[in-house]
Amino acid sequence: MQSAQKRPRAKLSGLNDPRIVPYVMIAPFVIYLLGVYLYPTISTIIMSFQRIDGPTQAEFIGLSNYNKLLTKNYIMALKTTALFTVWDVAILIPVPLLFAAMLASKNAPLPNFFKSLYFIPALTSIIVAGIVFRLAFGSLETSIANRVIGLFGAAPKMWLQFSGSSTFVLVLLTLWRWMGVNIVYFYSAIQSIPADLHEAGKIDGANTVQAFLHITLPSIRPTLIYVLTITVLGGFSMFTESVALWQQSNPGGIGRTIVGYMYMMGITKNNMGLASAIGITLLLLVFGVNMIQLLLMGFFKKEDA
Amino acid sequence: MSKKLLAVILALIMVLGCASVLAEEPVKLTLWTFQELHLQLYKDQLEKYNAQTTGPKLEIDMQVYPYEDMHSKLTLALQSGEGAPDISDIEINMFANYLKGDIQLAPMNDYVEPLKDVLVMPRLDNYARQGNYYGIDHHIGACVVFYNTEILEAAGINYLDIKTWDDFAAAGKTVLEKTGKVMTTWETSDCWSIYPMVSQHGGDWLAEDGSVRMDEQVVIDTLTFMDNMMKDGTAIATPGGNHHAEEYYGWMNQGNSASVMMPFWYTDRFLNYMPDLQGKMKVAPMPLWTDGGYKTAQMGGTGTAVIKTSENVELAKDYLAFATMSYDAGLQSWLLLGFDPIRTDLYGSEDLKQDNKFFQYYEDNIFAAIEGTLDSVAPTCLIDTYPVAADIVKQQMAYNLFILRQDPATVAADCAEELRMMIE
Amino acid sequence: MGQKIKANASTIVIGIFFVIAAIFLMMPFYFMFLSSLKPGTEILRQGLSFRVEPDIMSFTNYNALNTYREGIYWSWYKSSLIVMLLQTGVGLFFASIVGYALAMYNFRGKKVFDIIVLILLMMPFEILLLPMYRALSTMKMTNSYFGVIMPYLVPSFMVFFFRQYCSGLPKELIEAGRIDGCTDYGIFFRIMVPIMIPAFGAMSILSAMNSWNNLLWPLIVLNQDTKFTLPIGLGTTITPYGNAYDVLMPGAVMAVVPIIIVYLFCQKSFMAGMTAGSVKG
Repeated sequence: MQSAQKRPRAKLSGLNDPRIVPYVMIAPFVIYLLGVYLYPTISTIIMSFQRIDGPTQAEFIGLSNYNKLLTKNYIMALKTTALFTVWDVAILIPVPLLFAAMLASKNAPLPNFFKSLYFIPALTSIIVAGIVFRLAFGSLETSIANRVIGLFGAAPKMWLQFSGSSTFVLVLLTLWRWMGVNIVYFYSAIQSIPADLHEAGKIDGANTVQAFLHITLPSIRPTLIYVLTITVLGGFSMFTESVALWQQSNPGGIGRTIVGYMYMMGITKNNMGLASAIGITLLLLVFGVNMIQLLLMGFFKKEDA
Repeated sequence: MSKKLLAVILALIMVLGCASVLAEEPVKLTLWTFQELHLQLYKDQLEKYNAQTTGPKLEIDMQVYPYEDMHSKLTLALQSGEGAPDISDIEINMFANYLKGDIQLAPMNDYVEPLKDVLVMPRLDNYARQGNYYGIDHHIGACVVFYNTEILEAAGINYLDIKTWDDFAAAGKTVLEKTGKVMTTWETSDCWSIYPMVSQHGGDWLAEDGSVRMDEQVVIDTLTFMDNMMKDGTAIATPGGNHHAEEYYGWMNQGNSASVMMPFWYTDRFLNYMPDLQGKMKVAPMPLWTDGGYKTAQMGGTGTAVIKTSENVELAKDYLAFATMSYDAGLQSWLLLGFDPIRTDLYGSEDLKQDNKFFQYYEDNIFAAIEGTLDSVAPTCLIDTYPVAADIVKQQMAYNLFILRQDPATVAADCAEELRMMIE
Repeated sequence: MGQKIKANASTIVIGIFFVIAAIFLMMPFYFMFLSSLKPGTEILRQGLSFRVEPDIMSFTNYNALNTYREGIYWSWYKSSLIVMLLQTGVGLFFASIVGYALAMYNFRGKKVFDIIVLILLMMPFEILLLPMYRALSTMKMTNSYFGVIMPYLVPSFMVFFFRQYCSGLPKELIEAGRIDGCTDYGIFFRIMVPIMIPAFGAMSILSAMNSWNNLLWPLIVLNQDTKFTLPIGLGTTITPYGNAYDVLMPGAVMAVVPIIIVYLFCQKSFMAGMTAGSVKG
């Protein structure tokens, strides 16, 4: 650092010119984009129009890969993924938000202890979690889940064999794994709300629920947008959790997500062209849904203002 | 000065030392498998190979991956032409994926052909294209039934009296009545229940000419038989979906089912995962559909193959042949892994009868169960489109029939239609 | 008085919620720990068991970590640590500079980069697996640690976070620094970085967590079992045609212990960083 010399107003030229500085600073990002992302992205787009038979054999086949997406399997994977994402967002946002609000409340017992505890699942092996959930939701009468619903007089269920109940288990597994992380996001956002806002609320006579709805929620909107965005992405590209839950035995394909289908087609079935086409549709889907979400949340309005 | 001299001498020693090491340095190969069990055999054979070889000695780096991951990595490596091992296990349901287009596996014909008379060739045909043998198996995979004699005895049944599938179904009713337990379980997320039954019955998913056989009457009849056992309550959907699920092992170990039909290679699962059944389990041949019909089905397997991109194709082939097709390799595949060997000259030999952990567990010479059936093994048609068919069986046929409880004829028709659509 | 009773009542209600959630979240972890002390076949024999059975429990499985395949577990551990440190270090370095630049400077093209970061944030990395692998193999980088961290050199989620965090920093500091004769880089490293410590703390935990649990990409890149990271290595203990639960369970416990310790130690700065960086629109 030449900046060591102490003299007022160093002559800032060349790379030190404040107009050049930001470009130097983002240079690693540009190099990274060009070096790591550009080729694979273009290559994926090209491959989605090709049939690939080996390291050097590829042939353009027009839209044929995209036409194959109209088969049952893809539609089913799409439905599974969409259903999962909807539930994922519906559960993995409000529940952690509620807990974050409770943790931040004055009356919370041992908030630091619980906050740390809730974070631990995110650090644990997903393979083991898969085994635990697989056994807990086993089809036998003696499995934990069946005993629990048995208390309410319900007949034992084959949880992991039907698409509705298996989505439930998958969402539960995801909740188990990511709840702590989302709590941290929300909790820290709530902590950064200026205290005088709440004071003002109190003076206006707002109760807890009103304060939460009218003060807390609007104040953490940016965090909400961010968590929503990564949750939507996480939902659509879910793969590991499904693999951990079923291993390779995926009954009737009910747990197969888009990424799972892409992985199977491209890698297990050696059909890279089709896999690329699936990938491109996934990309468009995530963009589309997130754009709508961002528009609805008024993200761009704020950016431009 | 002396320091410099010392350095020179040291350097010289190092160069010479390296040179002499180089001459004797073993050739390094890599091998991938998805079945940790196989390592025991590969290591045992590697030691023996190095002891007898006149050529360079081998050092093999053996890597285990989970089933899907290993096949995915192999595909990626072959696709990109980089990072493939020299030798790889490839599961039978996946094998045809690697026989498409420009085949990246090395033919083993020069080793297979001289041994044709002593090998169970229908096994190797599963891994062949146009007369080239690309994969070598470790076992026949003849299907047998594992009976829990404790349950059967409680119901007053001698397992040796079960000769036909009708006997089996009838025994099931007695078992259910007397003990309240089920006779058997059908897999709902894998194919080791449906496929052996269909195959032994003379059916298959595809014909050699590529046409679809999935909706033939024999398939519907077989599915109907299985479906009827479920209706009777004598068979249930396998807890956990398949006979490799943790949930199933625990449930079976507690003595909840009177039998399970699986390929012979399942012997070792009882030893490792169901220890409480020691001495209670007996192995018997598959019941027959008809007199004169096939006595058994050959199911599952691993075609071990040499990858063309290897720098030492010839050496890798030499080792692979030694480790899978030699007399001793066959014997060890039984002694170490509990497989039914692919060498026909082993059957009936004294070598196979030596006491070992498998005989001890089953308290019996379990080979008796398959020896009489090997003259009548149903063929299987594993053409290029077979992996697609296998998937449909695993994920739709078994599921629709045993979980969604659809009608067998409908299931067969739907699956056949789906298969036709997929392979067009 | 009434106020106090109300407060106590809500403490109890909240406490009940907390405990229920804690039981749910800790259950698999408790099972994992208990199973790690029991023989591997017990999982198969009994299924999910939460019983403490002192007569069959011992720490012998932990010894198996040293003996299983010549102690390969510790190689996995080492690999995981190397990858975690590399990925976190490199990621923090680059992402903090880029995020800082995007937040503090107005320059032509800034909007474009903001949007690119946002796009990357929404990009399912999985779709690039094959071409990414091809690129890596042309560079002869397969089976290397660099290959494992390559896609995460400048992680977009970190850039995004630092951009948010830095937009809360006082811009006057730059002007002040310049008057003192610092170059802009000097200002960043000497003045800004010390202020950004909590942000680094927060991001290092999230990054370490991502790296420690990453499975798909390292699995594709690494070809040698001694170089495997923990998730891959533990995965190979259940194939599922041959399962070694007596390695998997203690292995999973040992894998989580150090990161929990790190987390507990850094908790304060972690929370502080997350709070200060909590996204501002």
